[in-house]
Amino acid sequence: MKIDPRSHVPIYLQIADGIREAVAAGIYSPGESLPSLRVLALDVQVNPNTVQRAYDELARDGLIYSRRGKGLFVAEQGKANALERARKTVRRLFDQGVQAGHSAGMDANDIRAVFQASMSAKEKQ
Amino acid sequence: MTTQVDDNWAIELMGLTKQFGRATAVDDLSLRVPRGSTFGLIGPNGAGKTTTMKMLMGILRPTAGAVTVLGTDVFAEPLVVKQRVGYVPESHNVDRWMHIHEAVGFCRSLYQSWNDQTCRQMLDLFELDPDKKVKQLSKGMQVKLSLVLAVSHEPEVLLLDEPMAGLDPLAREEFLDGVLRTICERGQTVIFSTHSLDDVQRLADTVGILYGGRLLVHRNIEELLATTKRIRATLTDGHLPGRLPEEIIWQRVQGREWLVTIGDFTPEKVRQIQDQEGVDHVEVIDLGLEDLFKDFIKGRKVVS
Repeated sequence: MKIDPRSHVPIYLQIADGIREAVAAGIYSPGESLPSLRVLALDVQVNPNTVQRAYDELARDGLIYSRRGKGLFVAEQGKANALERARKTVRRLFDQGVQAGHSAGMDANDIRAVFQASMSAKEKQ
Repeated sequence: MTTQVDDNWAIELMGLTKQFGRATAVDDLSLRVPRGSTFGLIGPNGAGKTTTMKMLMGILRPTAGAVTVLGTDVFAEPLVVKQRVGYVPESHNVDRWMHIHEAVGFCRSLYQSWNDQTCRQMLDLFELDPDKKVKQLSKGMQVKLSLVLAVSHEPEVLLLDEPMAGLDPLAREEFLDGVLRTICERGQTVIFSTHSLDDVQRLADTVGILYGGRLLVHRNIEELLATTKRIRATLTDGHLPGRLPEEIIWQRVQGREWLVTIGDFTPEKVRQIQDQEGVDHVEVIDLGLEDLFKDFIKGRKVVS
């Protein structure tokens, strides 16, 4: 997980997003345990209080849950939840792209062509 | 203790002021840091960071104001406070002729709560050989030794005065790792000063910006990032609108472009700007901590 201290996105949200991505990608499966505060804090080099806030955020979203004395686990609906979040993120980024195109005076077809180019570049990889 | 104070605060500064002759180094500084949290103090050179840290530690007497650490007045009961606080000063403080084990022995004799095991673990973590002489150590190693000596009595509060200044990237990372380990293990309160906004992001829960001895802002970092935004607007004829935002941190008009950083951002504020006569296009720019910090300092320079 990469943390960018220069970003305007608070570190705890960067960590929460990193874990969501890992769950969506199947790196952590439903029922599996997550790294402890200490392990993750030392791994990404941030204050454990910040990691705690990231975990609180994910627990509120229902992506993870805690079992007293046993640690944190990925919820059953965790993967579906993370995918839904990812969908929203992609939508928001596309919206931004569409807005940028409009601002520059592009029409819908111009923007669609750029989108298609982006997709086919990815498929070729 | 003469007054009853709230023990939930690790640090309480009330109207702290320090004058050197006619120069005011720290000017009416008040702030509270809750127990278990980490507070980062940033500011340009000469902002008063080191003076503040020295007063916190009880080394420097304020001209006015009070310093309370863990509910105890630092100047009324300096020894009581020192037992519960660890301090890594700006300049290295261990005698150069000593062997590391001698420096350890000396500090050990000063503290009732010294823990040999903690000391050993920290020396091992930093690969510090007790039989080496202090003067043989690199700058990075010396700072690490300072940290070992500051945390081995397991203090409840740790004060770090620009500890990572001048360290190479690897030494920084190792030092940061050492600090994070002590936080993970004991959850102590950490107060640190720095020039590095990366350090603030990684370590701090709340951040204070000090400039000219004054605290410009003291906020939780997430809140600060969420409520401080820069707005870029196009002015129809280059004139500012009649009603300006309330909390302007910094602004600049160049031709028809108006850049304004506000400290109480909400989407509503943007609408208010947009709805005014003479304002054409409005866009919100997210700021990282570094740009935000610069705007606070630049804004203050123009004003004063």
